[in-house]
Amino acid sequence: MVEIQDWNFGGRPRLMVWLRQRIESFEATHPGIKVVQSDKSWNMIREILYTSFSTGTGPDVVNTHANYAAEFGEAGYYYPVNKFPDFDSVKQWFVPELLESTRYKDNYYGLPSSAIAFILVCNRQLFDAAHIAPPRTWSEFRSAARSLTRDTDGDGHIDQFGLVLMGGDKGGFAYRMVPFFYKAGADFMSDDLTRVEFNSPAGVAALTLFAEMYQIDRSITPGFLAYGHSETNDLFCGNRAAMAIEGPWVRGMVNEMSPGKDVFVVSIPVPDSLLDQYETLPTLQDMVMYSVNAHSRNLEASWEFVKYLRNEEADMAWIREDLGAVATTNFAFNSPEAQNVKDLPLYINELRHARPLPTHPRIIALASNTFTPFCQKAIVGELTPKAALDQAAREAQEVIENTK
Amino acid sequence: MKKATPYLLLLPALLFTAFVLGYPLVQNLVNSVRDVSLVSGVGGWVGLSNYANVLDDPLFLSSLRNTLIYALVGTILALVIGLGFALLLNMKIGRITTIASFLYTIPWVISPVVAGFSWKWLLNDHFGIINYWLSSAELIDAGTSWLGDPQTVLACVIFARVWQFYPFAMVMFLAGLQAIPLEQYEAAAVDGATMFRRFFHITIPNLKPVFSVLLVLGVIWSFNDFNIVFVMTRGGPMNASMVLPVLVREFSFVFFDLGKGSALSVMTFMLLVTLSFLYLRIISGRESA
Repeated sequence: MVEIQDWNFGGRPRLMVWLRQRIESFEATHPGIKVVQSDKSWNMIREILYTSFSTGTGPDVVNTHANYAAEFGEAGYYYPVNKFPDFDSVKQWFVPELLESTRYKDNYYGLPSSAIAFILVCNRQLFDAAHIAPPRTWSEFRSAARSLTRDTDGDGHIDQFGLVLMGGDKGGFAYRMVPFFYKAGADFMSDDLTRVEFNSPAGVAALTLFAEMYQIDRSITPGFLAYGHSETNDLFCGNRAAMAIEGPWVRGMVNEMSPGKDVFVVSIPVPDSLLDQYETLPTLQDMVMYSVNAHSRNLEASWEFVKYLRNEEADMAWIREDLGAVATTNFAFNSPEAQNVKDLPLYINELRHARPLPTHPRIIALASNTFTPFCQKAIVGELTPKAALDQAAREAQEVIENTK
Repeated sequence: MKKATPYLLLLPALLFTAFVLGYPLVQNLVNSVRDVSLVSGVGGWVGLSNYANVLDDPLFLSSLRNTLIYALVGTILALVIGLGFALLLNMKIGRITTIASFLYTIPWVISPVVAGFSWKWLLNDHFGIINYWLSSAELIDAGTSWLGDPQTVLACVIFARVWQFYPFAMVMFLAGLQAIPLEQYEAAAVDGATMFRRFFHITIPNLKPVFSVLLVLGVIWSFNDFNIVFVMTRGGPMNASMVLPVLVREFSFVFFDLGKGSALSVMTFMLLVTLSFLYLRIISGRESA
């Protein structure tokens, strides 16, 4: 009997139930393999993985952000799954743009598990009451946020804001800024990963939008720098915020907190001059992938298990159930069921154009520790957007140079 | 053989201590002069360059400043409040004293992580009870963000730290107060000393050793306190509440530069050892004088 360890990071409760069922059926169809599965939190995922992998105690199979392919692939912790003999046929299952997110240099370090496209979620109750349509351009976005910033109880204090941002989670904040940078045409880094480019004029324009909304319009929640997931969800579901930048988990999250509450899920607004490309400009893509530990003693069994979790039949669960993310196979994308799931056609379209963060081994540190703090300084007015992004770019460039 | 027996009996405990304390300390020291990264593994010896990198890092000075404020202000406030409560409890007003002494020690027995989360929610700008009370009393604007404002965030984490530490100070001061001979107060009363004179000339001098120990322990524990700041703010917003233990984590587990993280740990350790040594020298000098 071969025993493999599977670490599952995060996920909605329904996903965990589904995963257990899937493991049971895997063990029934693969009598020689036993899977020991444990659930872990997304919080401190990198610390947990780095310490366990570097000490040789990592699991055989793990699900992580796809952009860990660079870090963990470079470090030699993830096995290049393209080395398995049947990889060429397996890779045909997946939407090519999504599969590419698991690649670093010449190797693929996992199979796509579920994908995320960042979108704008609008509180339908507040939008309908104000007779406002969800925004498509930056002007409409700013105007809607301004209109929905109100003193609802007449006590002289604003208690409803146009937009809530998640500033207390440095990584999460970057993930919510970058979609606007991408929609404006800014890149995070050059294609060859040697230069930082988020301080381009398009990037400055995106950051200026938020700085003006915060400083001039006062339409962003003033305390956003302290907010994590729970605060943003509470404010949005409690009608204290009209808009938030979220992903495919949002409808399930809203239903859990405020059953029956309806939302508009729309693409991230684009600069006014690019309205004709509203449906095709890229948002930020994030993806979870299943990877195999390069030092696993049971490589073949682990690979069998990963394939079982990610085959076309398994992927249909992401269409049929609300698991908080989107399927990744061509089969699921093109299935008739996919057309009937709320918001799914939008997410599928967004994912066909979306771009992930660059596959640089230090990308998480760059996004969290240089990009985020300087963007925040610009939004609250400590620095101008240009000065903030230039300084962030200098520091990020230094990190890149040191990485070489 | 008889002479060796005590040492042999102590040996397991000494070996265990060396393993759990000595080994990490020495390993940390070694890491601080090597190029150690969780990404690229263990490289060669780099001398003091990790230390130079720490000193060059713009976050180091601001984190050091925050840590000093957090440790000193937090400890002194906790001592003042702890002394105040100890004096009240020392009055022994029937069963109220027993109930109060139990209630006052609750913050001490709560896990720092739980305390951090509790204060985070209590201070929440829109749903926190503190904002509700203060804005209802029209003392602040509704929606005031304590943890989201770089100007107020450090005060908030200090407040939480004081809340956690004052019960320990209170218990220690109470023990100290109960050890003061009553004759001293009686003699002073006969001589016509007022309550304030008795406090400053009998109580405070008798509590000086307790105060010294609490100050040193409080500063050392606060200097090393990771939990409250990490849970409440993670060093944010915009690094305004970044303290050295959280910065060690940033260097080690965000940038995965264990060499730099170890160097900062060693620097913090040396700073604390020096502070403790100097302070104890001053105290012992005064006592012998």
